[in-house]
Amino acid sequence: MIEELIVSGRMNPEIDPYLHVWGWEIPFYLFIGGLVAGILFFSALYTIRGKQDDYPTAVKFAPMFTPLLLALGLSALLLDLSHKLYFWQLYTNIRWESPMSWGAWTLMIIYPLAIVWSALWIKDVFPKWDWKFKWLEDWIEIIRQYQKYMAWALMVLSIVLGMYTGILLSAFNARPFWNTAILGPLFLTSGLSAGAALIMLLSKKEGEKRLFARIDLMLIGTELFLIIHLFMGFLAGTNVHIEAARLFLGGEFTNSFWIFVVFGGLIFPAILELLELRKIKIPHYISAILVLFGSLALRFIVVDAGQASRWLY
Amino acid sequence: MKTKYMNPYLAGVLLGLVLLSAFFFTGRGLGASGAVKSLVVTTVDVVAPEHTAESGYYSKYTGDGKSPMKSWLVFEVLGVLVGGFLSGALAGRLKLKVEHHPNITSKKRLILAGIGGVLFGYGSQLGRGCTSGSALTGMAVLSLAGFVTMMAIFGTAFALAYFFRRNWI
Repeated sequence: MIEELIVSGRMNPEIDPYLHVWGWEIPFYLFIGGLVAGILFFSALYTIRGKQDDYPTAVKFAPMFTPLLLALGLSALLLDLSHKLYFWQLYTNIRWESPMSWGAWTLMIIYPLAIVWSALWIKDVFPKWDWKFKWLEDWIEIIRQYQKYMAWALMVLSIVLGMYTGILLSAFNARPFWNTAILGPLFLTSGLSAGAALIMLLSKKEGEKRLFARIDLMLIGTELFLIIHLFMGFLAGTNVHIEAARLFLGGEFTNSFWIFVVFGGLIFPAILELLELRKIKIPHYISAILVLFGSLALRFIVVDAGQASRWLY
Repeated sequence: MKTKYMNPYLAGVLLGLVLLSAFFFTGRGLGASGAVKSLVVTTVDVVAPEHTAESGYYSKYTGDGKSPMKSWLVFEVLGVLVGGFLSGALAGRLKLKVEHHPNITSKKRLILAGIGGVLFGYGSQLGRGCTSGSALTGMAVLSLAGFVTMMAIFGTAFALAYFFRRNWI
């Protein structure tokens, strides 16, 4: 071995922590989590405001998908675990300082709530639905008395769920690109926007589509604002944070982020929604699909870029 | 009802300005067939990577972590789709349909267009570019080849139009 050629221990392989442990599972789950949070939030919100019959897709139909979506998302999460059979140990304690503990417990509550919530509406969506068991039907009628309380719980929990998907990353201080408090609100807004988009996609009522196009526009505006502040924060930060932002300002994520997330997933659908609101005929599913795609792409890019950003140079 | 189209002379001037701004902002001209080529090369590379590595034509665009999809023309054509969609929306022409003369059927129109497209794509690769990439951009930088391409494309079309005019008039 020629010692004098070794300038630094960092030349040895694997000394620099190179992280690429999160594949498609985590960003996919983060997207699904945000989407479910968005759907449940609007369903609960318009139940509390007593608009069940004005916005039937948002309140009754869209939540039907949430148990299935959560099952898909959580399966992806389970696939990512190294020790799959020990996942239950998350539920042996509560750690206030751990976002993962917050997420695990929120999911523990919100998943059964989402199932019961869908069960409450199922007869409105499928009039011929038959529960087969009398006791089940009685139970649901008993629960129905507490519907408003459930709606409040769902609204709060869905915000926690949407927010936690971002905070999960920002709590990971070892990666400068994730090390920002804006990821929480950004992922929450993006999740709400994805939920609104899915409702637009499913809705058959003109008034409902228009309402959610307006809501979506507002959320897209908020997201753009948050993205600008994300980069302002990084550029005003330490050198590692500036390097992390450079991944997006000329670095390897520039094209994918600005073209597919900011333009294709936010600005372009916003223009289409504005035109739709001005009564120009555009198939509404196009903007909805673009928003959903942009929301998915945001998760993938943020998870990838975070793993590529580092403290040591 | 008459559909709304822009005045072609005005549209031509605007296209020229688009070309000018493309040079100004990116330092590159416009192109269309290049994006299709990237798509074809990428597809072939996925299906038969050995073939792309050996072929003189494909190997220029692949290998060494190069991705043919990471090209200015691919993104430009994505932008063309977005712009075309918006202008169609503003003119109220967003409808899936096959435009053809009443003398012929939709099927015949699609088959002819398909054959024409294949011939044009093949020709564009022999001539190193299509109407936009070679003729328009080439003429803008006063390249002789650009003028020759322009005359060849439109001259041939004019000369052969006699044989195919029944499909249109």
